[in-house]
Amino acid sequence: MSKRSMWSFKLNTAALVLIPAAVGINYIGKMFASILKLPLWLDSIGTILAACLAGPIAGAICGAVNNIIYGFTLDPVSFIYAFASVGIGIVAGVLAYKGMFTSIPRVIVSGIIIACVSTLISTPINISLYGGQTGNIWGDGLFTICMAKGLPMWLASTLDELVVDLPDKIAAVFIAYGIYKSLPKKLTILYKNDNQVENFD
Amino acid sequence: MKNISLYEDKDTFLHHLHPNTKLLYIIVANLVPVLIGTHWVTTCFIILSFLFLLCGKVAQKSLPMLGFSFMILLTVIIIQGIFREGNVTPLYSFWGITFYREGLTFAVFVTLNVINILLSFAILVLTTKPSDMVEAFVQLGLSPKIGYVVSSVFQIIPHMSEKMATITDAQRSRGMETEGSLLIRLKAFVPLIAPVVMNSLIDTKERAIALEVRGFDLSVRKTFLHAQKRSKLDKMGQTLLFLVLILGILWRIIVC
Repeated sequence: MSKRSMWSFKLNTAALVLIPAAVGINYIGKMFASILKLPLWLDSIGTILAACLAGPIAGAICGAVNNIIYGFTLDPVSFIYAFASVGIGIVAGVLAYKGMFTSIPRVIVSGIIIACVSTLISTPINISLYGGQTGNIWGDGLFTICMAKGLPMWLASTLDELVVDLPDKIAAVFIAYGIYKSLPKKLTILYKNDNQVENFD
Repeated sequence: MKNISLYEDKDTFLHHLHPNTKLLYIIVANLVPVLIGTHWVTTCFIILSFLFLLCGKVAQKSLPMLGFSFMILLTVIIIQGIFREGNVTPLYSFWGITFYREGLTFAVFVTLNVINILLSFAILVLTTKPSDMVEAFVQLGLSPKIGYVVSSVFQIIPHMSEKMATITDAQRSRGMETEGSLLIRLKAFVPLIAPVVMNSLIDTKERAIALEVRGFDLSVRKTFLHAQKRSKLDKMGQTLLFLVLILGILWRIIVC
C-alpha cells in the first residue's frame, strides 16, 4: 500500500467533517480563555489539531474557514488575518507529518516555529492596517517602548506580534498535543488520507 | 439554540440583493481609495456605506462591530501621535506629552481605512444569510464540500457552546476552581476544554458515516435548493460598480 502524499487535495469525508469541529474547538478555546481571563487567545488549538490529524491541506482549510466565521460573527477585520491562520495550519500539518508531535521538547520547538510563521505573516498585515500595532495590551506596551527608544517600526511591530504569539502558540500546541495523544487510535485512523480501498474483483 | 451569525432578517432592498453584488461593493469600496490615494475617497465610501446600512435598517447593529476596533484605533492615535518615526511638527502638548502632526495624520488615515473596511463588510455580513452567502460562493465555483464545511460550522458552534456551558457547570460542581491566580485559571483550562473536544471529535465519526450514506462523496453535479437569481437592481448595481472600478483604474493610469 503506497502512502499518499501529505499534500493531497482529496480529503475524505471524515477529514472534511473534522474541519467544522476543529473550528468549533478554536471558538470554544477562545471563549474559555476569555471566561478564565487568561492573557492568551488560545484560538488556534483546533487548527493545529486538525492539521495533526488530517494533514496540512485540512489545516489550511480549517484556518481559512475559522477566520471567515470570525469575520461573520465577531469582527470583519478577521477576514484579512485568514492568511496567518492558513499559514499556521500548513506549518502544523508539515511538522506533524515530519514527526514533530511525538515528544515534549519537539512540541516546544514546533510551538516556536508556528509562532514565528504566524508572526511573519501577521506583521505585514499589522503594519499596513494599523501602522504596526496588534491591539494586545502587552504587545502594544512593548511596541510603545521600542518606538520610544527609536527602534525601526518594522522591528518594533515584529516584536509586538512575537511577544504575544510565542506563549499563545506554545500553549495551543501543548494543548493540541495533549488531546492528540489521548485520542483513541480507531478515531485518528479515520482522518488519515492514506487509507486505500482494496478491490478483489 | 442561539444564532451566532450577525445576520438580521429584515425586508429591505439590501437583503434582497444577490451576495455577489455586495461582494463586488466590498472590493470596489476598498480598492478604489487605494487606486486614487486620497482620504476624501475613503470618507465618501464610509458615508456611502453608512447610508446603505441605514437603508438596510441595520445601522444600529453595526455600532458594536465598530466598538470592537475602537480600542485599538484609540491606541493607534495615541502611540502614533507621540512616537511615530518622522514626527517633527508639534501640534498639542499637555502634561509634558507632545502630539505631533505627522503621527496624527497617519493615525487618522489608519482610522478611516479600518472604518471603511468594517462598514463595507458590515453591509454584507449584516444583510446576508450565511447559507445564501455559501451558495453564492459555490455558484462562483467553490467546491460544494467546502461549502458544506462552512455552513455546518454555523450549526456546530451553538451546539458546542451549549455543551460547554454544561461542562463548566459540571466541573464547578465537582469543586474545580475557575477563579484565582493565573496558574489556577490556566490549570482549569484543560479539564474544561478536553471533554468538549473529545465529544465533538467522536461526533465527527457518526456525522461522516451519515453524510456518506447520503451520497456526500459522489462526484455527480450538485443542485441548489434555493437558486438565487440576479434581479434588475443587481444588474444595475453590478454594472455601476464595475464602471466605478474601471474609472478608478483609468484615473490611476492617467495620473501616474
